[in-house]
Amino acid sequence: MSYEPKIVGFLCNWCSYTGADLAGTSRIQYPPNIRVIRVMCTARIDPTFVVDALAKGADGVLICGCHPGDCHYSEGNYKAMRRFPLLKRLLKSYGIEDERVRLEWVSASEGQRFADVVTDMTERVRGLGPSRVHATLLTDQRER
Amino acid sequence: MAIRVNPKLINELEHFGSEDVFNCYHCGNCSAVCPHTDEFFVFPRKSMRSLQMGLERKLERSIEPWLCYYCGQCSEQCPRNAQPGETMMSLRRWLISRYDFTGLARLFYKSWKSELAAVIIVALLTGVGLLAYGFWQGNIQIYDGAGAFLPSSSIHIFDLAVGGLMFLFLAVNSVRMWWFIMDPKEQGIRLGLYLKKILLLPWHFFTQKRYAECESGEPGTVHIPWLLHLGIALGYVTMLILVMVFLHSLQAGPQIVWPVHVFGYLASIGLATGTIWMLHARLKKTRVQYLRSQGSDWIFVTLLFIITVTGILQHILHRVGLPFAANIVYVLHLMAVVPWLLRMPFSKWAHIIYRPLAMYFADIQRAVLAARAAATGSIQQVRHAA
Amino acid sequence: MQNCRIGVYVCNCGTNIAHIVDAEAVKEAVSKLPDVTIARSYRYMCSNPGQEMIVKDIQELGLNRVVVAACSPRMHERTFRNACKTGGINPYLCEMANIREQCSWVHVADKLAATEKALALTNAAINRVRYHEPLDPLTAEMCPTTLVLGGGIAGLTAALELAMAGHPVYLVEKSDHLGGNLARVDLTAPYLDSARDLLTERLVRLRQNPNISVMLNSQLKDLTGFVGNYSATVATHNGHELPQEKTLHVGNVIVATGYKEFDASRITHYGYGKLPDVITSFEFEEMLRAGRIQLKSGRPPQYVAIIHCVGSRSKEFHAYCSRVCCMTALKYAHEIKSALPDCYVSDVYIDMHAFGKGHEDFYKKSSEVKTLFLMYGKNERPVIRKAGPGDDCQMLIEVDEKLSGERIEIPADMVILMVGMEARPDAGEVARLVNISADKDGWFIESHPKLDPVATTTDGIYIAGTCVAPKDIPDTVAQARAAAGRILAKIAKGKIEIEGVFAEVNEDLCSGCRMCNELCPYSAIVFDEVKKRSHVIPAACKACGACVAACPSGAIKGRHFTDQQIYAQIEGVLA
Repeated sequence: MSYEPKIVGFLCNWCSYTGADLAGTSRIQYPPNIRVIRVMCTARIDPTFVVDALAKGADGVLICGCHPGDCHYSEGNYKAMRRFPLLKRLLKSYGIEDERVRLEWVSASEGQRFADVVTDMTERVRGLGPSRVHATLLTDQRER
Repeated sequence: MAIRVNPKLINELEHFGSEDVFNCYHCGNCSAVCPHTDEFFVFPRKSMRSLQMGLERKLERSIEPWLCYYCGQCSEQCPRNAQPGETMMSLRRWLISRYDFTGLARLFYKSWKSELAAVIIVALLTGVGLLAYGFWQGNIQIYDGAGAFLPSSSIHIFDLAVGGLMFLFLAVNSVRMWWFIMDPKEQGIRLGLYLKKILLLPWHFFTQKRYAECESGEPGTVHIPWLLHLGIALGYVTMLILVMVFLHSLQAGPQIVWPVHVFGYLASIGLATGTIWMLHARLKKTRVQYLRSQGSDWIFVTLLFIITVTGILQHILHRVGLPFAANIVYVLHLMAVVPWLLRMPFSKWAHIIYRPLAMYFADIQRAVLAARAAATGSIQQVRHAA
Repeated sequence: MQNCRIGVYVCNCGTNIAHIVDAEAVKEAVSKLPDVTIARSYRYMCSNPGQEMIVKDIQELGLNRVVVAACSPRMHERTFRNACKTGGINPYLCEMANIREQCSWVHVADKLAATEKALALTNAAINRVRYHEPLDPLTAEMCPTTLVLGGGIAGLTAALELAMAGHPVYLVEKSDHLGGNLARVDLTAPYLDSARDLLTERLVRLRQNPNISVMLNSQLKDLTGFVGNYSATVATHNGHELPQEKTLHVGNVIVATGYKEFDASRITHYGYGKLPDVITSFEFEEMLRAGRIQLKSGRPPQYVAIIHCVGSRSKEFHAYCSRVCCMTALKYAHEIKSALPDCYVSDVYIDMHAFGKGHEDFYKKSSEVKTLFLMYGKNERPVIRKAGPGDDCQMLIEVDEKLSGERIEIPADMVILMVGMEARPDAGEVARLVNISADKDGWFIESHPKLDPVATTTDGIYIAGTCVAPKDIPDTVAQARAAAGRILAKIAKGKIEIEGVFAEVNEDLCSGCRMCNELCPYSAIVFDEVKKRSHVIPAACKACGACVAACPSGAIKGRHFTDQQIYAQIEGVLA
């Protein structure tokens, strides 16, 4: 049985969450693998959230914010943008594939783009197979 | 090669009765409801469009106006009141003036007074001429036989002369029509195809079958205008043949030459019914197509009515033995007949030959287009050179 | 965490949710979760009976947490928070799960997966709500003064509406005169009213009203604060001197900065700028205002062609329709025909957008004055060239005409290009200054395209008129009055309630590193030199959470978006 990837999405309230809602009102379809968690701004996203999600069983994490220059809080997305590469390097050193964690910009009027991003990410993560993080942690726990 | 738009053309067409053409915004309802439009000839919308844009050459060469019988449904359906039916009528009048090499048709359409004047002048000339002839060689008390005021042998020749003259103009104009429509320089259509379809000419001429296909009432009912028009048309065609060929028997009396007279009586009934109904319809505007009557429409019907009445009357007078009155009415009859015949190539009545010709040409073009469509897999209009 | 008694409500939203998500199954599943006191599935939770159900359950079952799995919280969060308040618990003890916009509406093909997702999202919400805390709103004064940016018809209307209600208004206009683009117009379609009369009526009343302070040659330079308490810095240019800056205390801002017309020279095959008698609609308006329609050579034209959609509805320039040009073009046809009855007018269009009141009749009237309508295809384009010496016109327009199917040449002595509307080049800067967003075409984004067309995502900033999207005068005036109406309602309340959601520094954990101080875009974090601790000013904080995530000591708590709550949510979606 092929696995269905579980993707956790952190969406900022003003742009990407609204954009995702727009995809809904426009009835644009995308795969159901993503589960969204709303934050006010991508600046709120502590890199620990991403790690925690992977640890708890997420196969992929998608972070969506406003396009640079358009952040409702002026520079929040820039902060997310700065934190992200460091996080990615950390994840890489743990052997977590690059494509499992993604940062995208989706504006409030980009319903189609949101759907496209989710579809693309779901397919890529599906292609990578299930994340070994959760399973490894469980094994470690049992062994302990 | 781009065609030049000519916004001035519509001004010219207004003389021929077009109005409100610019109201048309090309929804296509008219073409949708028209019972005669098919995949080869789409109208009336296309014609309306060519007229709005002043595409003179395209219009001059189009058959579509002749394929229309003015059932009036398009005008009824038009949401903008753009009168497509009347526009097709005005295009027919315009085409008649175009086919006519003399320019008389154009003059008459521009001014009904000039037409009326011409009719009256010709009538008076005829009257004076016939009276002079009659008094010179005959006796006004004798209607028929030796010493007749207007002997059938002479009148017969006179009729043939007038008929011949009319036929000559008509023939030339018909050749012009063929030249415009079939465009022999650009479209080489084989003579064989012309010959193959030749029987369509008399077929359409005598039955006006396509007119019957107009739908105006409930489905399954007969289209009344077709029936009455057929009555009138067959009526005067019969009378013309009788007069041109069998005048001698027709005028003879008091005995009845049944083979000739039966046709004559039937034709007279057809004419009488038809013209009275036609006059009534135009006066009372009973249908969409009778809402607008031009001067030339009245002249035709009124003259024909006079011809019918005088024709019947003079025959009755002759039969009851009042030769003097019969002769007078005969002169009046001919005073109406001559201008009526002579104006034919220059008036709407020319459709007597243009319509059947158009049907014939249309069928030939359909065969050509269908053959091309089969070869290329698509239907393309026969494009006339700009 | 106190003993939680959670009420879970799974909304069917008629068939919007229930048709795809098995609401009953979700309800059944969540009812078994720990701390869930009651779980219900109901048709329309946002309806009165739906809300009353929540109220009743809180009161009778002693609920102290509420979860509503329904539409987007951006739709009804307020509704359910109010229901909680009515029921007697703090409105922040409520959480919503979005199982419509982000579930049933977008996963139509896989009902099972949609139901599983709905369950996961509801589960996450239940997890999270355990960690919710009661929060109380702050109140602040609502300053009754309004700042209106832009002195066109929108700005003038809004300013008057507010001033007539007795409140002070600052009307800031960049140029040296009021009236905006409408001042460049002669008559308006479809009733052919004079634009000058429309504006004069406004301007006279404006001058007579002492509440309005007009600032010409002025621009907004900076805006700080929050709704009800903004501080606006406006710079006025007085000729040679350096700009004078003035700080204004305002409660709300209406952005009515208008539009700019498309530059027709960008379309080379119209020959604008090369062929002398190819002009834009605004240039034609100048002629109409001057009272004389004539060519550059001085004689009146015999053929005029009007081309629609210049710069609009095109893949190459702007995909949108500029809305007003079709009726304006018809207006020109009328005006030309009445001034020059023998002139032939051709109207070269793609579609005729006659959407408004009186428009279809106006279109019919244009046909009646014998305007020739010629249709061309979208993304195909007419080409204008000089006519030859034998032609009776100056130019010829070659185009594939759709209604006849022919390629035609249209004679024209004068060609009027109906240039479309574009966002002003400074729109981006304005958006940044007032903290609103603009879309990819530069038009300002409204709070909700259908339900909230004049507000923005920033409280206290309103948008009206053509700076939002191309529109005609009736719609512009309606929006201006709507924005003014919203502000008047706020002013009438007197005080402004600010959500109790902001960041809080736990002074015991704060190390005084001051990393957060520079992070805050609203300068809401101050450092207490005495205590050597940082402190957030609640009213200034907009709860973005940047400082919360950044604090190395974890000393800052983002109210209503705490780490605990988010971890609970993550666990919930992955269960």
